[in-house]
Amino acid sequence: MIDCKSASESLSAWLDGELRGSEAEAVGAHLDVCRQCAEQRRQMESLQAALKSALELQASSLRFEPFWRQVQERITEKRTWSAAMMDFMHSALAAPRLAWAIPVVIVALLGALSIVPAWRASRNSFASVESIDPYGRNVAVLRENETKTTVIWLYQNPEGENEPSSEAADSSSPSF
Amino acid sequence: MSRLPKLPTPAALLFSILYYCAAAALSAAEKDAQAVQVKIGTILASNQSDEFDSRLRPLQKQLKVMKYRSYRLLKEETQSAAWQGNATFEIPGGRSLVVTPQESRNKQLALQVRLLEGEQPLLDTTVRLPNRGHFLLGGPPHEGGVLILSISATLP
Repeated sequence: MIDCKSASESLSAWLDGELRGSEAEAVGAHLDVCRQCAEQRRQMESLQAALKSALELQASSLRFEPFWRQVQERITEKRTWSAAMMDFMHSALAAPRLAWAIPVVIVALLGALSIVPAWRASRNSFASVESIDPYGRNVAVLRENETKTTVIWLYQNPEGENEPSSEAADSSSPSF
Repeated sequence: MSRLPKLPTPAALLFSILYYCAAAALSAAEKDAQAVQVKIGTILASNQSDEFDSRLRPLQKQLKVMKYRSYRLLKEETQSAAWQGNATFEIPGGRSLVVTPQESRNKQLALQVRLLEGEQPLLDTTVRLPNRGHFLLGGPPHEGGVLILSISATLP
């Protein structure tokens, strides 16, 4: 035999038919002998009946046809890619999913860091002179834009030393 | 209602980042181990004739920058050089060219190039050029004209 406290806790489930055989029988037996719990059962049954009648009344006044028509339209409509993208963005940017934005940003930054220098290098097809020591001789560095050519020209003879003949001088000095 | 595409999980993205970093590190290490192919073309430029060596056709536009009338390819040589290792090329007139690959960064190679006449240094320069790129070094007199060296480097 169960006490009033246990019967009261199980009463709602008993009314809904959710209790197993022995439990249901125990609650039913208690309700047969306990006036207080029987009164509680009566009140709950009245409440359930009132709610049910109210819901049925409301349901009869509701017009479901427009609602179902809209649902069917949503199912069959051909959505534009921009609307689908907007839905995707809204979903993707929902707070619980923002967690994956951090690794995505990191991947994007790593990608940019590896691509940008290579891209800049590929655009700069010139050879560039970083340092030059001509050991006292004259030297010229020419960068020709049209053919993207870098020329280092070494003037072989230091000033006043081993002057070349006029013919050799003409040949060893290019007219860039 | 169309289903939204399934998004990658943070764990999958983290794995991608680690994989990317490991691949980049391996690629860099592999490149460091490779030798650089250095190619030197020795060209005689002069104003004594109007001859243009047909083997120099790919360089024609670049050579014309110097406005000589005649260009003849005297010699062409390719050597492999390890990073920080020397490749020495004999140049006509008792000269030599020592090329030392220094480093590879952003798909560009840095080369130290030293031109010697006997034991005497004529020029010491460091040039950064794109992979498979080239530059010209000219000036040493030879047989009534001047030598122009076409220096290129390729990282396989």
